[in-house]
Amino acid sequence: MLPLEGIRVADFTWVWAGPYAAMVLATFGAEVIKVEGHKRPDMIRRGITGWRMRDDPTAIEVTVVPSTGFHALNMSKKSVTLDLVTPEGRELARRLAVMSDVVMDNMRPGAMAALGLGYEDLRKLRPDIIVLSSSSHGQKGPCSRYEGFATIHQSIGGQSYLIGYPDDGPSPGPNDTDIMNATTTAFIIMAAIYHREQTGEGQFIDFSQCEGVTSLIGEAILGYQMNGVIPERMGNAHPKYAPHNLYRCWGVDRWIAIEVHSDGEFAVLARAMGKPELASDPRFATVEARKKNEAELDRIIEGWTRWRSLERLEDELRQAGLRVAMCQDYRDLYADPHLRARGAFVAIDAPVMGKLELVGVPWKMSDCKPVFKPAPILGEHNDYVLKELLGLSQAEIEELRKKEVIL
Amino acid sequence: MSNSILSGVKVIELATMVSGPYCGKLLGDLGADVVKVESPRGDPARECGPFPKTGADREKSALFLYVNTSKRGIVLDVEKPEGLDVLKRLIKWADVLIDNHSPKYLEGLGLPWKEVSSLNPALIYTSITPYGRTGPRANEDGDELTLIQAGGIGYLLPTRSEDISRPPVKMGGYAVGYYGALAAAVATMAALLLRRKTGKGQLIDISLQEVILAHVRGIAGARYHGVPWNRVPAVPPVMGRMKTSDGYILVAPFENHQWKAFVELMGNPEWVSGPEWDSMFYRGQHMFEIAPQIQDWMLRQKKEDLYHRGAQKGIPMGPINTVKDVLESQQYAARGYFVEVEHPKAGKYKYPGWPYQMSTTPARVSRPAPLLGQHNQEVLCSVLSYSEEEYQHLQRLGVINPLPEDRR
Repeated sequence: MLPLEGIRVADFTWVWAGPYAAMVLATFGAEVIKVEGHKRPDMIRRGITGWRMRDDPTAIEVTVVPSTGFHALNMSKKSVTLDLVTPEGRELARRLAVMSDVVMDNMRPGAMAALGLGYEDLRKLRPDIIVLSSSSHGQKGPCSRYEGFATIHQSIGGQSYLIGYPDDGPSPGPNDTDIMNATTTAFIIMAAIYHREQTGEGQFIDFSQCEGVTSLIGEAILGYQMNGVIPERMGNAHPKYAPHNLYRCWGVDRWIAIEVHSDGEFAVLARAMGKPELASDPRFATVEARKKNEAELDRIIEGWTRWRSLERLEDELRQAGLRVAMCQDYRDLYADPHLRARGAFVAIDAPVMGKLELVGVPWKMSDCKPVFKPAPILGEHNDYVLKELLGLSQAEIEELRKKEVIL
Repeated sequence: MSNSILSGVKVIELATMVSGPYCGKLLGDLGADVVKVESPRGDPARECGPFPKTGADREKSALFLYVNTSKRGIVLDVEKPEGLDVLKRLIKWADVLIDNHSPKYLEGLGLPWKEVSSLNPALIYTSITPYGRTGPRANEDGDELTLIQAGGIGYLLPTRSEDISRPPVKMGGYAVGYYGALAAAVATMAALLLRRKTGKGQLIDISLQEVILAHVRGIAGARYHGVPWNRVPAVPPVMGRMKTSDGYILVAPFENHQWKAFVELMGNPEWVSGPEWDSMFYRGQHMFEIAPQIQDWMLRQKKEDLYHRGAQKGIPMGPINTVKDVLESQQYAARGYFVEVEHPKAGKYKYPGWPYQMSTTPARVSRPAPLLGQHNQEVLCSVLSYSEEEYQHLQRLGVINPLPEDRR
C-alpha cells in the first residue's frame, strides 16, 4: 500500500519547481495527470534541460518524446493534451480538475482564474478540493505579477548574497532553489491531504517561491535584527574552525573538502600529512590559533594535497576518521560506490532513448517503495483521461482532434 | 474541530543544529505537539549565534531561536539509566521520533530500530544522517562543507566563476541542514498518511548527501549528452549577475520580447540598434561584446528601483538582496510574511513565516523556542505522568538538569 493511493492530482505546472512537486506525489502512489497544451508543451520536454535558444540552428527540435531533464522531473505521471485557449479545452480541464483531489499550477497569478480554473470556480463544483498555486511572489501584493525563476527567487529571498568568494560578487546556485521549493510544495500538499482525511475540508494554498528561500535563512534574518550586522560571503570558511576548505589535488580541477573541528581531529590530519609536529606548533595547536593562522595552514595543507590523487587521499583520510569529501562532478556522483550501494539512482526504460539512470528520491522508507516509471510522452494518456475518466466517445475525441483541442 | 493540521500528532525531537530541528519546527508550526530533548549541555545550535551585541548567551542564539519554535523542551541525560527510562517512555508516547544522530547513537543506548519499533510499533522513526544508515559510509560524519561537495551542488559553485583555478565553494548558511529538513518532512508526512491506513509505523532513512544529489536531478542527465558541467560558464557570462551603484542584480531578458523591453529600459542606446540584436541566437554569441556598455549603464542605476522598473515591463530580474533588503521588502510586508515572536529572554523579533498561505489551516508559531529545560516538569509530570516525588528524584540524580552556563 502507498500513502497517496486513491489520490488524483491534476498537474497544470511546468518547467522545474511545479513538476517535481507533482512527481513526488506520483512516487507516493498518487495518480498525477499532467495537463499540457500540445501547442505550448512544457519547455523542459525539449533539449537537455530545456534551455535552448529558439532560433539556435543546432538546437534539438521540440519533440513529444521527453528529454532526460523532463524524465528527471516528471517520472510516474500520466499526460493529457488540452489546448486551454479553446473553450472545449477549458471545459474538459474543469471536468478533470473537479474529478481530482488536488489541483496544482505555477502560472502567473490570476491565470487559472481567467481560464475558469481558479479555486473559487472549482470549489463550487467540489467543496473539498485542494488547490495549490505556486508563483514567484505569491498571489497578492505589489510584486505579485513579476516573473521569475529559480536563481531570481534565490536572489530576492536573500540566499544568493551568501554564496561565493569573499572578494568577489554573489552567485546563485544551479537551480537548486526550484527543487527546494518543489520539496516544500510536496510537503504542504500532503499536509493538506492529511487534514482533508481527518476533517473532509479542502483549501487553497498560495505559495511564494521567494519566501520559500527566506524561510531557510532565518538565523541571518534574526541575527541582523539583533546586532545590525549584514552577513557576508565567506567562501568555504567557518566562523570558528580551521582548516575548513577545499584543497587542490593532482589532476584537472580535482578538490578535496576537509573540515576539522577539534584539536584531536587536527592531530590525526597532521599525522596523515607526515607532519605530526604541526599539532603542537603554537600557530596551530588550538581552535583559536588555527583560525587565526588559517591562511598559512591552508597553504601548508594544499602543499601536501596537490601532489596526491583525490580518490586515494579521500579514502585515506576517511579511514583515519576525518570529515572529508571529494568535490564530485556528475561522473563522480554516478560512480560513487556509496550512492550506488544505497540505490540512489533509478533505472527507467525511456521511449526512444532507452535505458536511463536518473536520480531517485532522497528518502528510503522501510514500508513504502516509491513508484518510478518513465515520464509520459506528450498525450500518452489522452484516451485514458478522455474516455475512461471523462466518458467521451471515440467520435467526440476525433472531433476534438480535428479542432486541434488535443494532439 | 481544530484548525491545526497536525494537532494531536506527538513528536519527540532527539536532534541538534538544523536538519532535525527544522523538520520538527515544520511539524510544530502546523500544530504537532513537539517535545525537544536536549542533553544537559544543550543543543550546540545554542552556541552558534548570531547573538545580540551583548554577547553569546545560550538563550539568545538566532539559529536556535529560529529553528525551534512551537516546541516544548526538556533536558535529559540519556547516559544515565533513569534518563534512558524517560526516553523509552517518550518513545512509547510519541507518533514520530526525529533523530539526526549517527545510527550508532541510539544503538549504543540499547535502542536500535528493532527495539524502538517493538516499544512502539506505530512509531514513525525519521532518521537524518550525513550519508544514510546503510552503505559503506553509513557511520561517517559530514557537515555543510563536505556534504555540499559529496552531493554535487558544490562542484558548480560559484555558478559564475571566471577562474577555474579557484576552488569551488559551499552554500552560505545551513543549506544542507535546511534542505535535509524539508526532505525529512516530506517523508514523515507520507508516513503519517500511510499510518492512517495501516496503523503501522516505519523507519525513514534520510541521507543528506542524497538530499543534495536530488537538487541536481534536473541536470544530472548531462551524463547522456556530453554537455559541460562546470562552474565556469560555456560562454562569458554577460547578463545574469550585474553590478549596480548600490549592489547586485540578476537580469535575464532571454526571450525576444524581454530583450526588447530591456533595450527600452536602457533608453534605446545606439550600440544595440542594429537588427542583428533582435535574434536570440546572435545575442547568445555576441552579448559579451556589449557587456562593458551594459555594465556602465547598470552602474548608474539603483538595484531596487531598477528591479521594479524592469519587472513591471515583464523582464525577469531581481535584486541580490541582503538580509536587510529582505526585511524591508514591500512585497513580504503586503503578504504578512514575517511573524513577530516574543521570547522571554531574547525579546521580540520578526521571524520568517511560511511560503505557504493556507486558507483553512494557516501555520503559526504556537510558542517561542524553549529555554534549556523549560518544560521538564510539564512534560514529565503531565505528559508522562511521573509523580512529583519521582520528578524530584530525577532532579536529585541530575538526570534532567541543565549544566550551568559556566561549566559547558
